[in-house]
Formats: sequence, C-alpha cells, structure tokens
Amino acid sequence: MTRPTPKEIKAIADVAGVPVSAEVATRIANSIGPAFEGFAPVAGTLPFDLEPATFLLAQGAKTPKKAAK
Amino acid sequence: MNIHQISTEPALLSLTAIAQAIAAKRVSSREVTQSCLDRIAQWQPRLNAFMAIEAEQALASADAADAALAKGKVGGALHGVPLAHKDMYYDAGKVVTCGSKIRRDFVATTTSTALQRLKDAGTIRLGSLQMSEFAYGPTGHNSHYGPVHNPWAIDHVTGGSSSGSGSAVAARLTFAALGSDTGGSIRMPAHFCGVTGLKTTVGRISRAGAMPLSQSLDTVGPLARSAEDCALLMALMAGADPEDPTAVTGPVPDYNAAVQRSMKGLTIGVPTAFYVDDLDAEVARILDETIAVFKREGAHIVQVELPDQRQFTAACQLVLAVEAAAFHKRWMIERPQDYGPQVLMRLQNGLAVPGVSYLEAMRWRGPALAAYLAAVAGVDAVIAPVAPVAAPTIAESDVGNSPDAEAVIQRLTRFTRPVNYLGLPSLAIPTGFTASGLPVGMQLIGRSFDEATLLRIGAAFQRATDFHDRIPELA
Repeated sequence: MTRPTPKEIKAIADVAGVPVSAEVATRIANSIGPAFEGFAPVAGTLPFDLEPATFLLAQGAKTPKKAAK
Repeated sequence: MNIHQISTEPALLSLTAIAQAIAAKRVSSREVTQSCLDRIAQWQPRLNAFMAIEAEQALASADAADAALAKGKVGGALHGVPLAHKDMYYDAGKVVTCGSKIRRDFVATTTSTALQRLKDAGTIRLGSLQMSEFAYGPTGHNSHYGPVHNPWAIDHVTGGSSSGSGSAVAARLTFAALGSDTGGSIRMPAHFCGVTGLKTTVGRISRAGAMPLSQSLDTVGPLARSAEDCALLMALMAGADPEDPTAVTGPVPDYNAAVQRSMKGLTIGVPTAFYVDDLDAEVARILDETIAVFKREGAHIVQVELPDQRQFTAACQLVLAVEAAAFHKRWMIERPQDYGPQVLMRLQNGLAVPGVSYLEAMRWRGPALAAYLAAVAGVDAVIAPVAPVAAPTIAESDVGNSPDAEAVIQRLTRFTRPVNYLGLPSLAIPTGFTASGLPVGMQLIGRSFDEATLLRIGAAFQRATDFHDRIPELA
C-alpha cells in the first residue's frame, strides 16, 4: 500500500463530499502518509475469509499459560 | 487520615477516604464540597481546568446529601462526594461543550450511563472539566477555551485529551474525574500530571451518552489519586448496559478486593524493544526504578518480545482518522470555520483513507490482538512508559496546524496508540519525578478485561511508594 498523492486525496475528498484545496490535500498527504507506510507490510496480505469480528473472538480467548522468557 | 486533616482541608484526602469519612459523619458533604470549591477558586485562574463551576448547586446538593444522611438515607458508596468530569459526558439538562465551539450551547437530554452510575452511588456535581476539542488532541491545547495548565509547572502541558481531568485531580480540585481514551487521552494526562488513570478494555464500561470520537477505539475510564480509588469507581461503572450493546455482558470482577492484594506471584513483562527505545534519560531511569520496586514487592520480571508495535500504531491511525471524520462529516461541510485549525486538519486526514484500507485495518485487529496475547502468554502485565518524555512546555508543543503537527502528535502518542488498536486495558500510575519536578508515569498493559490485575499491581506499587500522594503547591 502506498501513500496517496495530493491529487488522489483531492479526488477522494471531492467524492466524499468534503472538497479540499490543493494546499490542504498536500498537507493531508504528508500527515496521513506515514500511517499508510506503517501499515504497508500488512496491507494486501490478509486471508480471504478474515472478518473484523475476529477481534471479539481474540478478546474472549483464553490465554495459554506458557512460561515467558 | 486524621481528624486534623479532615478539619483543615478535606479536599486533600483520597476518594476512598473521603467517602468513608462522609458515611461515618466525620465530615459533612458541605464541608468537603466547600473545601473543593475553595481550592478551585485558588487554582482555576492558574490552571483553566474547569469548563464550568457550579458552586451554588454543588453546595445545595451537598446540603441535601447531609440531610439525607442525617435521616439514615445513604445514597451509595460515594454518598455526598463532589466530583467533576470531562465535559463530554451527557448530563440531562446541562450544557456539554465537548471542548468545542460547535457544541458551546448543546444541552444534553440524556445522562451517560457511566455518569448516571456514579450519581446513583451518591456523587454530586461540582461542574465540568476542560478537554481538547472533541477529544482530538494529546497535549491539552484548546483554541476555543485556552490551554489547560499543569499544576506541577504552569507553563507545561497537561496532556490530552482529558486535560482538565488530569489537572484537576492532580491539584486536588476533585477527588476523581471521568476521562476517555481513544489514542491515549487518559494515560497522557495521568503521566504528565502525576495521577492514576485507567484506560479500560473496549467493552468494559458503557459508552452510552459519552461523546463519540471513534466507535472502535473509544473507552471510558477514571482518573483518580490512586489505583484504589480507580477500583472503587470501576466497581460502580463497569458492566453490561442495555443502552450500549458493545458493553460486554460478562461478570464484573471484584476490583475492590483486587487492590488489597500484593503483587507477589505475578509476572511483569519488560519489552525488549519499541517501548524502551529513544527514551529521555530521566524516563529511562524511572522505568528502571519502577521495575526495581516491582521486584522488591515480589513480582517476577521477565523480558517480552512483542509484535511490531509500529504497525499497530499505523493501523490505529487509519481507523481513528476514518471514524472521526465520519462522525464529523456534517459539521466539516456545514461549519468548518468553527473547528480549531488543528482539529479540522486532523479530521480532514480521514478523508484520504480509502474504505478498503480502513477495513483492512479493522480486519487485522483480531489477528494482531491474538499475536500480542501469544507474545505475552504467562505474563500478567507489561510495563512501559506512557510517553518517552515528561510534559513539554505549552509553547513548544503548540504546533497548531503547522506541517509538522502530526509528527509532534505521533511522537507524544507513540506508546499509547498500540494499546488502543488492540483494545487492551492499561493503567497509568505516577512512578517518579524529573530533576525539574515534573511527574513521570508508567503504564501497565494487561490482557483484555483484566483491569483487576492492573489495579492490583498499581495499588501494591502505591503502598510501597509515595509518588501518588505528592501534591503540587500553588506558586
């Protein structure tokens, strides 16, 4: 996953119904860009049948009692 | 606690102690409320911690509580105890600004479940506490109502977004306060102001009637003077709520019993990376000293290798940006000029995240939590700094909507965001002071819904230390 460009952000914001100027789009790109880069190793790698609700299953799972190092 | 303390300044006692003193009629609710109001009058001009002060109503409520007690009618565990909370908890008939211009005149028609449960326990209202605009800021700046000041050093930040809660609890203006934590907003003020703050597990406390920022990440929790006081509040607030289907329906542990136990036999993990990287020297020193206390108190210390926390931070940022923008979209269209520049800037970030990217971040949350829990198997809690530095000055962290604003925010919230993404509980406790007198806190990160163990460790630590008992002096 690559960070969106200011031009792409301007188009996305227009579609969202909250248009922004070119200057604001550039600022947004710089601001949110690191989040895209940080998530890049995960993006596009998730299994087909993974649902967001697995979070609730993980919350309720019993933790194995193996010894820590 | 002694009679002299009660007769001179009841506001200095803990929540637990003052509730017991009122119930035993050693002090009246009016005396306690007046003590808090006296301190508020002294400190508020310096701190700007309160959004609204309701002295007359508070005293009238205190008189009613005293009259009821005289007739043998005890309202609950906190009968007659005056409190103030972050100004985002709906209280029917009261203005709830959410720290914003947009909601400057918003009058709530319902009362939040968390607040109602505290009212049912007998608390009375002192007023409301300042906060970052719409809870979207980690420093305590607010372009509409001015910054909240740190009672330990007036020119330093309190941390946000529960800025007034941290400042007011530290200065002993209220015995405790509700905060909220979506990206670190309870733990940051607890760390910077030297108080105890509990970020709860997502689902532990009802969010009904609490201003939303991010439905996946928002949590309700207390800031107080001790882990024992947090336990008292948790016992009253936690549990299922028909008004909030995301509040879990399972049993609520006995938090008040948990804080009576020692930390002997518990295992505390120390991360090998990330949370120990690039720390200010004094924060690093205090982390080592805290671990030494844990050892002395009987905890077993082990090193833990955690999954890459930077990816959790990034995922958190994507989720938060989108959900916050969605909540605010209407006002972003209709009233953009009424937001502070930094808050509008951060809300606009959410516009840039495609739906697929947002859902990827949400889908990964389950495996990410499972991986984290596997890494800490056998560990009761992980110790980590809340932030790599003590409180910066208000001036140096006043970045507004400058190009590097998000970088500053990310640096301050580096150690808090992963916990929010994973939905885990985390207790911030005061663990020391810098040479210049600024408090430094550490967070104990637990397993989902295991706040009781965190409170147990925190209370045991506080029986062995006095950092939480220190009180800032009015300069």
